[in-house]
Amino acid sequence: MNDARTLPGLGRHFLLTLRLNFRSTPAIIYGYLVPVLFLLAFGSIFRGDTPPLLPEMGQILTITILGGACFGLPTALVAERERGVWRRYRLLPVPTGSLVASTLVSRLVIVASSVLLQIVLARFIYGTPLPQHPVQFLAAFFFVTFAFLGLGLLVAALADDVPAVQALGQCLFLPMILIGGVGVPLAALPAWAQRVAGFMPGRYAVEALQRCITDSRGLAGAGFALAALAVIGFAAGAIGAKLFRWETGRRLSHAGYIWVATALLAWLAVGAAAAFTGRLEPLPPFGANYEAITDAQIDRITYDDLPGDNELVTRLAPPFKTAADTARVAGFLAQLKSWPPSHLDDPAENIRHLVSLATVADITADLREAEIARAVFDELRARFDRDTLRRVLAWIILNPDDGTVVTKAPELGVRRHPPERLIRERLPLYAKKYLGRVLGKIRD
Amino acid sequence: MSEPAPASIRVRDLSKRYDAVEAVRGISFDVAAGEIFGLLGRNGAGKTTTLECLLGLRRADAGAIAIAGIDTLAEPQRAKQLVGAQLQAATLQDKITPREALKLFASFYRAPAAIGELIEQFALAEKADAPFDSLSGGQRQRLFLALAFVNRPQIVVLDEPTAGLDPQARRELHQLIAGVRASGRTVLLSTHDLDEAHQLCDRIGILHEGRLVSVAKPAELIARSRATPRLVVRTARPFAPADLPGVVNARQRAEDWLLQTTDTNQTILALAQQLQADKNDLLDLQILRPTLEDAFLELTGESWSAEGPRP
Repeated sequence: MNDARTLPGLGRHFLLTLRLNFRSTPAIIYGYLVPVLFLLAFGSIFRGDTPPLLPEMGQILTITILGGACFGLPTALVAERERGVWRRYRLLPVPTGSLVASTLVSRLVIVASSVLLQIVLARFIYGTPLPQHPVQFLAAFFFVTFAFLGLGLLVAALADDVPAVQALGQCLFLPMILIGGVGVPLAALPAWAQRVAGFMPGRYAVEALQRCITDSRGLAGAGFALAALAVIGFAAGAIGAKLFRWETGRRLSHAGYIWVATALLAWLAVGAAAAFTGRLEPLPPFGANYEAITDAQIDRITYDDLPGDNELVTRLAPPFKTAADTARVAGFLAQLKSWPPSHLDDPAENIRHLVSLATVADITADLREAEIARAVFDELRARFDRDTLRRVLAWIILNPDDGTVVTKAPELGVRRHPPERLIRERLPLYAKKYLGRVLGKIRD
Repeated sequence: MSEPAPASIRVRDLSKRYDAVEAVRGISFDVAAGEIFGLLGRNGAGKTTTLECLLGLRRADAGAIAIAGIDTLAEPQRAKQLVGAQLQAATLQDKITPREALKLFASFYRAPAAIGELIEQFALAEKADAPFDSLSGGQRQRLFLALAFVNRPQIVVLDEPTAGLDPQARRELHQLIAGVRASGRTVLLSTHDLDEAHQLCDRIGILHEGRLVSVAKPAELIARSRATPRLVVRTARPFAPADLPGVVNARQRAEDWLLQTTDTNQTILALAQQLQADKNDLLDLQILRPTLEDAFLELTGESWSAEGPRP
């Protein structure tokens, strides 16, 4: 760049864009008030969650980012273009692209402030916990905002005027809200809609954000979602920048429409990749149980991420062969057979309670943790038929938040009491160790 | 003969086409340093397209433009450092204040003007911190003119600077533009207002259907024109215009006569004698010298109207 004044100029442009946003009543209404209304609406529907709203925060924040990036950005850009502001900017001795970039960065800050407001309000109104992984959450936020700002730039390139921005924005917004897993939770959608959602960025945005909010593993395992957002955002953003129009009255050329179609091909590519890698299998509907688990779902479960049986986490003793092996858990074994939480009507509840018993012993570092885990496995195999056992274990792996878990068992000498959240996180690990053995995929 | 001033703006064989419309057809002109040069023409004549090519808003299909010796195509950013411009029909964001706008635009240049001075010079002090949407038409126009000066430009380009202004605001703006010349800068402006062109410009280029049909000083344009002076005569009783020497055309209007003459002196002298002989009273006599409008009519073959030919 041949001009030393570019950076101060862009800095001033960035700050002024922020300031003008906060002076605009419509920008405040759509950027802050409407997202808060969504938060309150979700709050009134899902206030029964424990903790409240936590499972829905990914959706709420995605709606906020979607609104700010797919409506807010193009509305501001197109309104300025209509007024001739961008025509005036073209006279400045800097490339127009640098001013577009400065506008994008200021929009990122605006969207971030709105997201922060949602998180703080949810905390104060409903007591919703803060994201478990703040740094990873920030990373997920960048990916999601990048994808949606890219789409916003494409909308700005396509729309001739502000009403057209609203129309095009709705074409993106409504499908994602209704059948894209953003407004209506994915699991509540019919199977076909869940598959369609796999072709839209909203689903991946919700997944990436939600993982950082509630999943102990954070973004680990969210690689596909992040890649999907990056691909969709890059295609839309690069083509939106290429087609950027700084003055009104110039229609998009035929070649322009071909470029737009290319940007949307990224959605198809992401959906196809998701289908090819088995990510579009529908989630079980609300109220479904382990009987809905298919053989295909069981086959797709992998076992490479399990810690070893002698490691710190999820210890598992080798099979009992001699009396010496069971000496430390003799009393426990006798009591386990008649342990009431494993003798309820529903076999799924019984199996989950047994697996959670092993998990509690593991988390609380019970001296007998490895033997308890082995005793639980023996009990499972002795009491439940193989088909029920494999389906329920798969169900636990795929739906660790479903049903009830035990958090302590003082009657069995497991007295310490870890938080339920920790138990639900570790539950699938033991379920996998057991399922792998039931299916012969893990050798004892 | 004095040395001609070095060309501040040099346009050569500039052509620009929009689909089927040839907006500018190979025009060439020079503007000397310190000169006010006006591009005069009706709407659609190619004025704005010419200015937009010069400012880098449009890419010319053919031709070359140099600003202070800098090729605008090869070094657009360097050329932009030297030029200040006011565009037609531009507005700013509703809530931006004149001071903010001036500071923003100034911050991109190497040697910006002092914002406070610009606010004073363009009489914006009263509204310097008011939102743009509360500014009157004249105030907005003054702000855009001030924006054209944020970089202390050597060359100022003004596209229809007084369009849509009331007479008072127009007069103020004319004074400001005249002041720009006094500061030694070069001004290139477009206008479809004949009076404005005549009053403000050192030289005028008449654009017609994308072609530059003439470039000269306003007085030269008029002097070159073959149009004859006209007399407006009002008398108490009828008189005989056809008998007067020099009269080539006489037209009776509601209350007076319009006489076209090749010899003003002889016609007036004979008129006075005729009236005296007939004991007729002269109630009014005006001499209408040829104007820029006459010159325009002659050069373009069409009578003047800002709107251009009707479809």
